[in-house]
Formats: sequence, C-alpha cells, structure tokens
Amino acid sequence: MVPPRNKTIKKQIYVSSRRRILFPAAFLLFSFLLMILPLEGMVVSVKALLSYVFIPQVRLAHGAVKYAEGVSTTVQELLNAHRENRELKQQIEMDHLLTAQAESVFKENERLSAALNIKPVRPWRGVLAKVAYREPSQWNAVIIDKGSADGIEERSAVLSLEQGQEGLAGVVVEVMENTAKVLLVRDEDFSAAVILERGQEEGLLTGGGAQPVRIKYIPLLAQVQKGDKVFTSATSSIFPAGILVGRVRAVRQDGSFQTAQTVEVEPLVRSAAVKELFIISRQGHP
Amino acid sequence: MGKIFKLACLFVVASVCHWGFATLFLYCGLNVNFMLVFAIAFCAVAQLEIGYPMAFLCGLFLDFFGAKLFGNNAFSFTVVACAVYALRERFDFNSFLPQMMTVFVLTCAVGVLNSVLLMQFTNSSLWPGTGSLIGGALVGALLSPIVFAVVRFVWVDLAADEHL
Repeated sequence: MVPPRNKTIKKQIYVSSRRRILFPAAFLLFSFLLMILPLEGMVVSVKALLSYVFIPQVRLAHGAVKYAEGVSTTVQELLNAHRENRELKQQIEMDHLLTAQAESVFKENERLSAALNIKPVRPWRGVLAKVAYREPSQWNAVIIDKGSADGIEERSAVLSLEQGQEGLAGVVVEVMENTAKVLLVRDEDFSAAVILERGQEEGLLTGGGAQPVRIKYIPLLAQVQKGDKVFTSATSSIFPAGILVGRVRAVRQDGSFQTAQTVEVEPLVRSAAVKELFIISRQGHP
Repeated sequence: MGKIFKLACLFVVASVCHWGFATLFLYCGLNVNFMLVFAIAFCAVAQLEIGYPMAFLCGLFLDFFGAKLFGNNAFSFTVVACAVYALRERFDFNSFLPQMMTVFVLTCAVGVLNSVLLMQFTNSSLWPGTGSLIGGALVGALLSPIVFAVVRFVWVDLAADEHL
C-alpha cells in the first residue's frame, strides 16, 4: 500500500513531466504548421494586418536610435569645441607673445630709422568690413558695408584673409557715406607696383578679368620661377610695401624681339571667395 | 490583470529594444537579436507555463516582419526555450557567465537553425554571414546580464505580487 503523501508527489512529478513534453510539443507543432502554410492570400493578409500592430514600436525604436545618434554627434561636437577652445586659447597666448615681440621690434625700428633719418614703417591700421553685395555687371568688384562715415577713403589698400594668411584683395575706388566699392585684384582696371621675392625685380601687376593676372616689365634676364611669392612694392603710392599678392603661376617669354618677360600670377585672395575685408587707412601706412 | 499588463509592457519594451538595437548595430553589420536574449532571460526566470508561450510569441513577433517564411522564428524560439529549461537544471542563471555563454551559443544556434529551416521550406538562403552572426551573438551576450537582471527584477516582483 503506497502512502497518500508519496502518491501526491508521484502525481505531481507525472503532471510536471507531462507538461515538460506537452508544452514544447504543442508550440513546435503549431509553429511547424505555420511554416507549411503557403504564404499567399489570407495568410499574407493576416500577417500584414498583425505586423501593422507592431509598427508604432518599430517607429519608436527608430526614433530612439535617431535620438541616440544625435546625442553622439552632439557629444562629439562638444568635445571638438572643447579641443578647439583649448587650441585657440594657446593660439591667443602665442599671439600675445608675438604682439609683444612685434611692438618691441617696431620700437627698435623706429629708433634705428630715426638714427638713420629714414621714414619709419608703421603698423597697418584700418577698418574691418564685410562684402554687402556684388555688382552683376562687374564681378571683380564688391560693395562693402563700410563707408566714409567709418573713415574709409578712396585709393585705400584692401586686404583679405585666405588660408590663414593675409593677402592683397584690391583697392577702394568709390566711397559713399556707408558703403564703398572695392576693385579686386583680378579686375582689368586694377594695377599695382609689385616686387618678386627671389630676385627683388619690380614690375607692374595688372588684373586681366577673365585672363590671368600678369606682371609686366620684368627684365628678360631676371630669374623667375613658378611658385615665387609676389609682394607689393615700396614704390607704390597706394599700397603699403610687403603685402603678399600671390604666387607666380607661369613665366612667358613670347617673342624674341621683346625686352621683358610676362609673369602670370595666381592671386592669394580668390575673388569669388571674398567675404571679410580689412581696409588699410591712408594714415595707416607711409 | 495587472500581471498581464506588466507582461505586455515587458514585451513591448523588449520589441522596441529589439528594433532599436537591430537598427543601431545594422550600421556595424551585426545581426543582434535582442528578442532572443529577452526570450532566453524570460525562460531562465519564469515557469514553463509562461516561458514557452512568451518565447513562441517573441518568435512570432519576428515572423510578422519576415518575407519568405512564416513561423520559423516561432519554431526556433520554442527550441531555444526547450534548451533553456533543460539547462536551467544544470546552470545557475544568477551568475553572469552562464547567462552570457547561453545567450552566445543559443544565438548562434538560432541563426543556423533559421537558415536551415529557410533552406528546407523555401529553397532559399538567409545566412547573415559568420562574422555578423558571431558579432551579433557577442553583443547579445554582453547585453544579457542587464536583460536578465531587468527580467528577474520585473518577473520576481510580479511573481511575489501575484503569488505565482
């Protein structure tokens, strides 16, 4: 005779083991039946209908992923900004040092110029301006947002920053009260006395419009090479000496009867990219 | 009623996480099956009367979005549930290593099983690629301790509430 307690335990074990087999068997059989169903007609419709039920979850998940991507981009931008900030702070410190050095050099220069009775070179002073608009009829001329009210005068030299370096952008040709017109280096009417870095030969730089910018009157024997820097000359009445104009792009020695060679120059400041300009005041340079 | 509502919430959260992780890791070329991790975790914690239906439903949920075969995920998830209930007697699913090992191995097994089923029933292949499968299984294994912890927290809480 089996005691009732043992009988109950045995029954429980039997039920448990039957469940262990029945549950997976039922679900496996059901899923197998689903697999052998042909995926067409009614089955596809029901499947599509039920899949629509889960669309909000899918959308929510995609939204969360997009948000997560946005967060990583923002964090990256913040880190970049932090790094840039650190670099710029270092740059500012370096600039302070350089300014201090430059001031002492200027003072030394003034003392030496006074001793030698030479007119001293003074630092450039001027006004920062933005390009307000361009004249459609004259693409190589721009109108800036500063005028006579800001101390701008005609025939003032105009600089611009390109690739982290300041270069000659043009010259002020017309001044209104709040605006001024700047003729850019590429314009046909532009000209400036320039000097070549290598041989210190002087020539006259002229804009060519659609044609390349050229330097005329360079002696035939002058050693000019592609890539040589071109600066404004001290003999110019408009431009302060030593402003970088551009680099030599090509040297032409066209005819045997000519006494000078023509040098093509690639201006540092691109006409199409000019946005901010620095106008050197007439009192700002000798 | 509260038990069913909480279970439904758990399922919805798992499905959202599944699509989220699938989309996120798709850019890295990994086939992460979060739903499977959830099903394994649930079977490791819950009784078989609830574990099997849940695993089946999780698989069926994925089948709704499949184009070639209907029911293969439900089948493989049920097989996984069988494996988990068999392993539960031997492994202690409270520690991380058995959780991660089980998820890793079963994810790989489900990948292979699904490909075999698809080949058998549709004569086409849906092999995600060995790298993608193993990478996805690895990500799933790394996620598994968190999923196990959450499921255990919710389910034990539920079981205590409802005297399950």
